Amino acid sequence: MNGGIQVERLTPKDLPAPPQAALKIVRACSNPNIHHDALSQLAASDPLLTAELLRVVNSPYFGLSREIQSIPRAVNVLGQRVLRNLALCVSVRDALKSDAIPGFDIASFWEEAIRRAVAARLLGEMLKDNGDNYFTAGLLQDFGLLIMFFLAPEAAPLWADMRAMDPDTRYGKELGEFQTTHDQIGRKLGQTWSLPADLTEAIGSHHACSADSPQLAKALLCADWMAAVYSANEKGAVLDKCRFWLADYFDIDGDAANALLAQMPHSVKEAADALGLGIEEQQDFEEIMREANLRLVEANLSYQELTWRLQQTLKERDELQSELNRELELAREIQQSLLPKSTEPGQAVYGINLSARQLSGDFYDCFALPDGRLYFNLGDVSGKGVNAALLMAKTSSLFRCLGKRINDPSQLLTVLNDELCETSTRGMFVTLCAGLYNPKTKEVIMVNAGHMPAVVHGADGKFGKLEASGPPLGVMANMTYPAKKFSIDGSSLYLFSDGVTEGHKANGEEMGFKGLLNLLRQVADLSPQDRLDRIAREFTSGDVPLRDDLTLVVVDGCAQTK
Amino acid sequence: MEYEIKSAGDYTIIALSGEVDLYYSPKAREQILAHLNKKSNVLIDLSGVSYIDSSGVASLVEGYQLARNNKSRFGLVGVSDAAMQVLQLARLDKVFPIFQNVDEAINA
Repeated sequence: MNGGIQVERLTPKDLPAPPQAALKIVRACSNPNIHHDALSQLAASDPLLTAELLRVVNSPYFGLSREIQSIPRAVNVLGQRVLRNLALCVSVRDALKSDAIPGFDIASFWEEAIRRAVAARLLGEMLKDNGDNYFTAGLLQDFGLLIMFFLAPEAAPLWADMRAMDPDTRYGKELGEFQTTHDQIGRKLGQTWSLPADLTEAIGSHHACSADSPQLAKALLCADWMAAVYSANEKGAVLDKCRFWLADYFDIDGDAANALLAQMPHSVKEAADALGLGIEEQQDFEEIMREANLRLVEANLSYQELTWRLQQTLKERDELQSELNRELELAREIQQSLLPKSTEPGQAVYGINLSARQLSGDFYDCFALPDGRLYFNLGDVSGKGVNAALLMAKTSSLFRCLGKRINDPSQLLTVLNDELCETSTRGMFVTLCAGLYNPKTKEVIMVNAGHMPAVVHGADGKFGKLEASGPPLGVMANMTYPAKKFSIDGSSLYLFSDGVTEGHKANGEEMGFKGLLNLLRQVADLSPQDRLDRIAREFTSGDVPLRDDLTLVVVDGCAQTK
Repeated sequence: MEYEIKSAGDYTIIALSGEVDLYYSPKAREQILAHLNKKSNVLIDLSGVSYIDSSGVASLVEGYQLARNNKSRFGLVGVSDAAMQVLQLARLDKVFPIFQNVDEAINA
């Protein structure tokens, strides 16, 4: 809507014009001193209106035993007020012809209006007030909505949805679409048509009720919700709200509320017939209750199903997780079995491997050749997780297998490298330090394929570094790995993964290469195994979890040959 | 880590900068492989790299291997001191073709 409807700027010309004769009767009947003759004259001036009023008066709605044939007689029997209300109802009914708003089903609007009117009348009667007044007010309370569509006919397609909304939601929708609401328009209309002040006030304020509001306004609010029980989609919620208002404003309990609501369909039909407005078959209250309960059950069911599915999914997740964990645990066992078993005292090579995850990308190994020489190695696979662990297993196994036949570390690495290159995947590679140690001569032949420098801690306390002599394994075939030959008599040779130098100590500081050398100096007097344990504690005593796998090997040049 | 794609001669140049670590190297890898799979000749400019870890090195190794399979050219240019230290430590400086600058690579 462009700019919406500005209520204060509406003029009588903007609003639908009611039948003038009917309005005259309304005004005449509002005057307590009106003479019957004057009323007869008024009625006679519009025979069509007179006939219509008499038809309504004689309809089953009023349940009169004898037919009434004149307006003054109707006033005598029913009272001036009833006639006034009748004329008013006919006025508004005829103010807009059925095709006044293109694309808008006015008949369906009247059905809702009658439902509110009936609800209001039932309430009024229960409150021992004039039910007929309540009926008229109920019929008129949302007439403003019809006027809004009349003023903004392009909004007509919205009606079908709005009709099935609860009163609050619909009120908000009106504000959004028209920038005004039906109660405001209704008040304006009441003023323009000079309708009775109490009626105009109740129509204008029925959406802004408080406990102190006039009873009629509160009744209209309740009538709105009672009617919505039959028309809204969310019947359960509307029913709750309806009962709430009835209890809050009128102390009407749940059973009484149900009794009121159950009377509506029949009365709606009767009133619609009386007013000559055709309406659709009315659902009875039991049906409405069933629908509301069904929705409630559906909502509960879908909630329970959701909960159930969530539980199932969580259970499946846990099962998958534990299955995966079992698999990983098996893989870990196999991986651990690839590491050398702890050996007896007096051995020359010791190692530890701590993994940051279940599976490690690091490995070390040590095995003896028949002549007593020991092959040892320490490797680090690029990447982490399962793929790194598999490459670790492959490399370690190949090394062991080849090592038993090739007693030359340089040659071994060249063959191992070619083998890994042939089956390399996704740029994964292995950095590896390896050597062959002769415990009798204390001589080491060492190679380093792209790995961290190995460190020799000499008997004199000085450190020596052995840097890589070739690239990592698995990068490029046909590489040579020149070996270095040296004695470690009285010294210790340390191999380690970058998890050691880049690892974080308990205080959060990175170990660093210098830090490691300091530590090696501090632990020099301990046995080789104790040295490794002591170094491991640097990384595991704090709360900081291991960030990288941590592997360390020491070749002890002091151990006595057996 | 940031990256920038340029071209010079018949090379696509992928300039990496910042830290090429476990967290960012998948992005570097993705770029390197994507261009190599288009059969481009690729140069990796490492002049802005302040840190590279083994996962970053692995991406370079993978690029190098893929280029060899594809028979396209692959090299490193303007290798920063930080990156060079790592490459030298692992003796990978003997594996990758390394050029001072792009011109040197184009004329090689």
